[in-house]
Amino acid sequence: MAPAQVSTAAVGDPLVDLLLESLTRRKATGQVVQPGDAGRAAARWMADAGVARAVLAGDPLVDRIGLADALRREGIDVLTWPTGLGKRESMGLEGPIDVCGVTVPARAVAERGTVVLEASAGHGRGLDVTSRHHVALLPADRIVRTLGEALALTYADGRAAPSAVSLVSGPSRSSDIEKISTLGAHGALTEHVVIIR
Amino acid sequence: MSTRRRRADGGVAYLDVQGTLRERTVDALRDRTLRGNLDTAATSWGESRDAMREGYGLDDMRERAREIRRSNIRNLPALLAEMQANVREAGGTVVRAADGAEACRYITGLARARGVKVVAKSKSMATEEIKLNEALQDAGIEVVETDLGEWILQLANEHPSHIIAPAVHLNREQVAALFREEAGTDEVPDDREGLVAHARVRLREKFAEAGIGVSGVNLGVASTGTVCVVENEGNARLVTSQPRIHVAVMGMERVVADWDEAAHILQVLPMAAIGQDAANYVNLITGPRREGESDGPEEFHLVIIDGGRGALRGTEFEEALSCIRCGACLYSCPMWRSVGGQAYGSPYSGPIGAVITPLLEGPSSPASRDLPFMSSLCGACGEACPVGIPLQDLLVRARARSSSPATRASGLAFRAWSRLWRRPGTYRAWMAGWRLMLRARGKDGWATDLPGPGAGWTQVRDMPTKWPPRR
Ligand code: SF4
Repeated sequence: MAPAQVSTAAVGDPLVDLLLESLTRRKATGQVVQPGDAGRAAARWMADAGVARAVLAGDPLVDRIGLADALRREGIDVLTWPTGLGKRESMGLEGPIDVCGVTVPARAVAERGTVVLEASAGHGRGLDVTSRHHVALLPADRIVRTLGEALALTYADGRAAPSAVSLVSGPSRSSDIEKISTLGAHGALTEHVVIIR
Repeated sequence: MSTRRRRADGGVAYLDVQGTLRERTVDALRDRTLRGNLDTAATSWGESRDAMREGYGLDDMRERAREIRRSNIRNLPALLAEMQANVREAGGTVVRAADGAEACRYITGLARARGVKVVAKSKSMATEEIKLNEALQDAGIEVVETDLGEWILQLANEHPSHIIAPAVHLNREQVAALFREEAGTDEVPDDREGLVAHARVRLREKFAEAGIGVSGVNLGVASTGTVCVVENEGNARLVTSQPRIHVAVMGMERVVADWDEAAHILQVLPMAAIGQDAANYVNLITGPRREGESDGPEEFHLVIIDGGRGALRGTEFEEALSCIRCGACLYSCPMWRSVGGQAYGSPYSGPIGAVITPLLEGPSSPASRDLPFMSSLCGACGEACPVGIPLQDLLVRARARSSSPATRASGLAFRAWSRLWRRPGTYRAWMAGWRLMLRARGKDGWATDLPGPGAGWTQVRDMPTKWPPRR
């Protein structure tokens, strides 16, 4: 089922507006919400997209916005990373098909519509890509303009490089059949970024 | 096409290619479906690339990209040492392989030692070059290509025809037929979305089984020991995160110094390759999973391949090592656009393939010595290259270096001809003889089947017996 339209109206913050524009170009969607509304808005989007189960990053932001409760109110099953699911179920071969991975990007690149996901104990490498849908919860102050700025922060001197970093710019796609872009090749079919401001 | 076989001599070109380069080219030119498929692909690529040049200043990024890559190649030994030390520091294993055979031995040995039965791969030109699939299969290990295009080719038992879009020469109906055969059922949809969804499920099963994930490396970043794997489908992330072991195979020239350089190249690559301002997924991997993390591989192995690359440093071909394998020169090449990649008989096709395949194989290898002649020297490749490799110059130099009975004979013939034409007497005698011969062989003002040195000309065009020619 297609996710409901969410407003992508410009908010007057140049980096936020640029990110929204780039996300649209990358075939992802974005919306801007206030901290108090973030949990409800994210849950609403998932309900509209037909999500049956959400797998949440183990991140303090997820708790702060009360996402788990908001999802349960929408009748969505909630798991938190690490899920302890077996291999087949965590790969979507068993259990519900409409799973949504909820990530908390360390940064986002406004120019390219890219979210930067850093692997950690609470944030699995496969969180977004094994699921059918991907929702990223992004505090607006984590947005930078260029990829160069984002990578300079991720790999700053004196900071241990994360074991894995994923730059995600829109839903999975393949152009391998007749060179025409088709969504949902291996990773998520939809990507929605909730910008918290 | 026959089954894929491994070369015993560690060469780059495929051993199972049939016929001469000329025969393969003629066959490809006669294949109308292929021509149609290539046309569609090259046109759509050209349009999106033009958008990148206008909207994103791709041309302005070239100079910096060229400088970065040239300095990387100049400092290669130091960068590789730094890369190696940092990967080890992060808990990974680094192996330097002198050639493909050595790399294959290491990876099959690892699979055996860990009792691995299934290996899942994401697209990698380096593993195609070293013929890793064949080596693993010989060792009784199942190999599954998980990039959609590569999987399609694996089912068709064909080699990739393009660096970025491997199955660009097949159309939707051809793909649907292959999927039906693999699944053993007619219940396979034949629209594009349906085909992609079908492959997604079939390949997830393989990911769940695989004990080793093998990926290529687009860039290695020396300052942190990180490998960058760029992709659009998400399969490379699954390959690098789901199996218990991740093996990354990298050509030794793929290293950059730091993240400032990496950020530039990572932006240039998708623009030149697919005409997009970003790839959908860029996976940056620094060693295996850390303590406390619950997914990601427990072991990370980086296999760095020389395979003849090191010997090119300091030669007139050094710049070929700057290549970031974007595929832009392929799409821009009128030869490649007419015949596709299969005719080249090497994983590296198009202008860059015509330069590096014979370089990596040696100038007299029968499998590749004719490749530098697969060019009209129009220069479109050099213009398209985002790292400013003067491909047309390299092609000319590669021709001079190519050595086969035919090139040696034509070298002698040209030297003799030049000696004849430099003296007025012999020149006049030559021309008089030539005119007589044209008159004798010609019909209605045109000669259509000249003997000797003229045969090459009249094979593809007629020659007027008088100037100006009769219409
Ligand atoms: S030679 Fe240049 S254009 Fe061709 S694949 Fe390499 S980087 Fe791309």
